Amino acid sequence: MKNISDAADLIATARQALLDELLPRLNKDQRYAGLMIANAMAIALREQRAGADAARAESARIAALLGASSSGSPHDDEALTAQRRALCLAIRAGSFDQDARAAALTAHLLRTAADWVAISNPKALRAAEVPA
Amino acid sequence: MQIATQPAMPADDGFIDASAAGNIARWLRAETHASDVRVTTFERLPGGAIQDNWTLDVEIDGGPWQGTHGLVLRTDAPSGVAVSLTRAQEFEVLSVAHAGGVTAPKPLFLCRDLEVIGRVFFLMQRMRGLAAGHRLTREALLVPDADALAESLGANLARIHAIRPPRADLGGLPPPAPDHARATIAGYRAYLDGLEDAYPALEWGLRWCETHASAPWETALIHRDYRTGNYLVDGGRLSAVLDWEFAGWGDPREDLGWFTARCWRFGAQGREAGGIAPLEPFLRGYERVAGRSIDRAGLDYWQAMAHLRWAIIALQQAQRHVAGGERSLELALTGRIVHELEYELLQLIAGEAR
Repeated sequence: MKNISDAADLIATARQALLDELLPRLNKDQRYAGLMIANAMAIALREQRAGADAARAESARIAALLGASSSGSPHDDEALTAQRRALCLAIRAGSFDQDARAAALTAHLLRTAADWVAISNPKALRAAEVPA
Repeated sequence: MQIATQPAMPADDGFIDASAAGNIARWLRAETHASDVRVTTFERLPGGAIQDNWTLDVEIDGGPWQGTHGLVLRTDAPSGVAVSLTRAQEFEVLSVAHAGGVTAPKPLFLCRDLEVIGRVFFLMQRMRGLAAGHRLTREALLVPDADALAESLGANLARIHAIRPPRADLGGLPPPAPDHARATIAGYRAYLDGLEDAYPALEWGLRWCETHASAPWETALIHRDYRTGNYLVDGGRLSAVLDWEFAGWGDPREDLGWFTARCWRFGAQGREAGGIAPLEPFLRGYERVAGRSIDRAGLDYWQAMAHLRWAIIALQQAQRHVAGGERSLELALTGRIVHELEYELLQLIAGEAR
């Protein structure tokens, strides 16, 4: 148990204070801005919790799709961007046009998109993809 | 592109303020051959991410326009998306569409003289009604006969598509591409290639659209933002189609896919016609005027294109915030919509979404 608040706890607590103490006192225009701020904080919080895991899993799946060995190193934004770019080039070159390859790619992309929707707007997930 | 939410425009961007009303009155007096023109109301309308819209009431003494008029002034916001038309081009398109029987505000005067308010603008008839998509799709009282509204939206879209090139009076529009779908795909790829990040889901969507393209329909005028949120409903009926800034020559199916795509149903996912009604009455109205309709595969294809298009626009909005010097929470959050659009696009490709 930590003794002081970590980043996630600070964001969550600040968001709750915004919702409970500020929002009821705002006029209509300000209320819209207040709700946007609360939404942004909720997204940041979910990304803080789940973003690195989602990125690691995506990286491992791209490595498998491209037949490369996964570095297994901790999450690295630049390396993931390079992997995504390599995947884009392969897609554009037609490497995933065959049915089996297309199905494997679509499964990977759907999993990746679902992980990020779970962070950005979990309400938009279909029942099958709602994380446990 | 007007985005789904309502951004607050800064009132003091240094271009237009209430003192412009006097200049507009003087300019209008000459335009209308009047003896006197008074602008009695001049207020900015909320909601334009790209266009800057003002509502004004004018009293005109003398000349053919004698009387009082409720107008909307439309001009450029200080920054916008590069692909939109100029106000002069939009005035041209709106004039042709209105003359073609499309339910739209009648465009009245175009002002290219920068001395008047500092920007090119036009005035159009102010139409009554509500545009807010989140209300039209939720409050049944606003749309008592949803099927009839959807049918008239379909018929009206077909009237836009009845305008075909070449048209001397639309000479300001870029010439049509021989194959709109392929040209669009190439344009989206070129945009993505210029970004720092890579987007495999969008890339796969583009590849899928490339390999699944069917023969183009005959080129027509397309609106390119025909969706719930961009038309006015008054007394349950369609009163005006707005926001013509993206119009151009293209494949009419793009508008059919855009109108029916999940991303423009405002959460009313079971009502495929813009969150308002089932698909059937919308397509019936379209077919009655156009003499043809779209099949399910065609609609799925152009709904996939709709998600790609919205994703590209959301990325452009995000870029304005991240790299364009326009720090804005609204733009930043618009960027986060991309994940959802990728997700819906992939569901369509997997054949699992409607």
